Amino acid sequence: MSLQYCADPSLLHGWQWLSCYLLTPKHQLFYTSFLVVFALLAITAPVVLLLGFAGAMAKRSSFLPLRWFGSIYTSMVRGVPDVIFFLFVPIALDQLVEYARHKIKCPDITAPVYQGSDFIVCAAAKMPTSNADAWVHQLWGFSLAVIAFSIVFGAFAANTIHGALQAVPHNQLETARAYGMSDSQVFRRVHLPQMWTYALPGLSNLWMILVKATPLLFLLGVEDIVYWARELGGAKTSYFEYPHPDWRLWYFLALLVFYLLLTWLSGKFFARLTDKFSVDKSRSKANSIKPTLIGIGR
Amino acid sequence: MNSNTGSTGSVPVIELRNIHKKYDDLEVLKGIDLVANKGDVIALIGSSGSGKSTLLRCANLLEIPQQGDIIFQGQAVTWGKKKGQRTPSDKNQLQQMRTNLSMVFQQFNLWAHMTVLQNVVEAPITVLKQNPAEANNRGRELLDKVGIGDKCDQFPSQLSGGQQQRAAIARALAMNPAAMLFDEPTSALDPELEAEVVRVIQALALEGRTMIIVTHDMKLAYDVANHVIFLHDGVIVEQGTPDEVFKNTRSPRLQQFLAATGQEG
Repeated sequence: MSLQYCADPSLLHGWQWLSCYLLTPKHQLFYTSFLVVFALLAITAPVVLLLGFAGAMAKRSSFLPLRWFGSIYTSMVRGVPDVIFFLFVPIALDQLVEYARHKIKCPDITAPVYQGSDFIVCAAAKMPTSNADAWVHQLWGFSLAVIAFSIVFGAFAANTIHGALQAVPHNQLETARAYGMSDSQVFRRVHLPQMWTYALPGLSNLWMILVKATPLLFLLGVEDIVYWARELGGAKTSYFEYPHPDWRLWYFLALLVFYLLLTWLSGKFFARLTDKFSVDKSRSKANSIKPTLIGIGR
Repeated sequence: MNSNTGSTGSVPVIELRNIHKKYDDLEVLKGIDLVANKGDVIALIGSSGSGKSTLLRCANLLEIPQQGDIIFQGQAVTWGKKKGQRTPSDKNQLQQMRTNLSMVFQQFNLWAHMTVLQNVVEAPITVLKQNPAEANNRGRELLDKVGIGDKCDQFPSQLSGGQQQRAAIARALAMNPAAMLFDEPTSALDPELEAEVVRVIQALALEGRTMIIVTHDMKLAYDVANHVIFLHDGVIVEQGTPDEVFKNTRSPRLQQFLAATGQEG
């Protein structure tokens, strides 16, 4: 994809130099690493929403152990710093999977897996296996990251959704029952649609935090945009094709602009969504009628 | 004209027999009997805390009385137990009752996320499984009837209290119920808006609709009811025709109540 005139970088000047510099294979890896961020968001967001619903339903369940599970899940994750969770979950999952594979694939090895502070499994149990391509390693790391993100943010979403379900006025649900609706009809026709009004501010907030948490991928060893910004921005001596001083400032500035843009767009999107799901239509921008309270006198 | 004893060959729609309702140690209803025959308009009056709203809510089982029988169109509610509490055991029967006893609430309780017309057709479509197109047509007719046909596509929060309550009445009518239950339908409205709701209720009474109305509005009770029940401390202290109850008041308690509400005579 590199341009014709880029053949000998040492002869280039000005914008020609810059255009060639910005199209080096490493830079192309940098650009594709933005896709990693989007992929993480695209996969994590729906999973988080699902986990959030599951957690909220568990907390509301009439079955006590399920209720316990829901409460423990949400309060435990809420009480732990995110960064620690992101460091803990991938390592724990990694070891869990390798331990299981070790037991299945190498039943003959009797030596304990935990030897002092070492975690030793047979070669066949390694995840990914030692002869796997680099992209498999990346994918494995990415998958662990997705799981860690989903667990953490799922707990927050569960809290938000649980709170939103509680916030729907009781009389709205009672009225539905009074008109003969079954429990599931009440839930589908009234409870769920009205829940969004109360959940959206929290969920939009959560989305922003999720977007801003994506650089944690770097912490998990995934080659994300932060990794590449550091790599490419660092000073390059004349040993390199395109030598330059420490430009990390500019690279990080670019990331800053990227995240600002992303959160700004998200904000606009959620404002629209909130408008759409607003229970009090008179408050939405689509209407010019003055606001009134739902159910006067409440 | 009134046959509240249920013994003169009229058709009872809903009968409440010896209803007792307790919240923890507080006994709100202490053995109430009430029969609404077809075409009856019964007004339940009494001070706040007398148990009149609770009694009304027992009729469609929004409240479950610990003791007593509820008979809907000749069928007694069958009871089961859940977590030590008495509870209706037959879901179909419960649905049958609730769809036939549509309720109008003090705070209107229109579903806030639906337009006025959607509110009216919601239960007919999801519960009664009516054809949506037909339900919509009928919904528009009913909204016309209560005088807010032009508000079909507005949301409840865009309507005045009086309009909301009329929409709620249209929603109740859309169920084509055997009886309508009104829980203080005018209490949340200022006098001007109250009048428009009262007119609608009066029109329904003239149509011969069976209604039970809990109200603080003695004029409404006098004008539309054919039978008035005065509740105090969970028991029926006095009942009879509006003239008997309001003009020839016997019990001192009711005299006191009417004096306090400034509606005596």
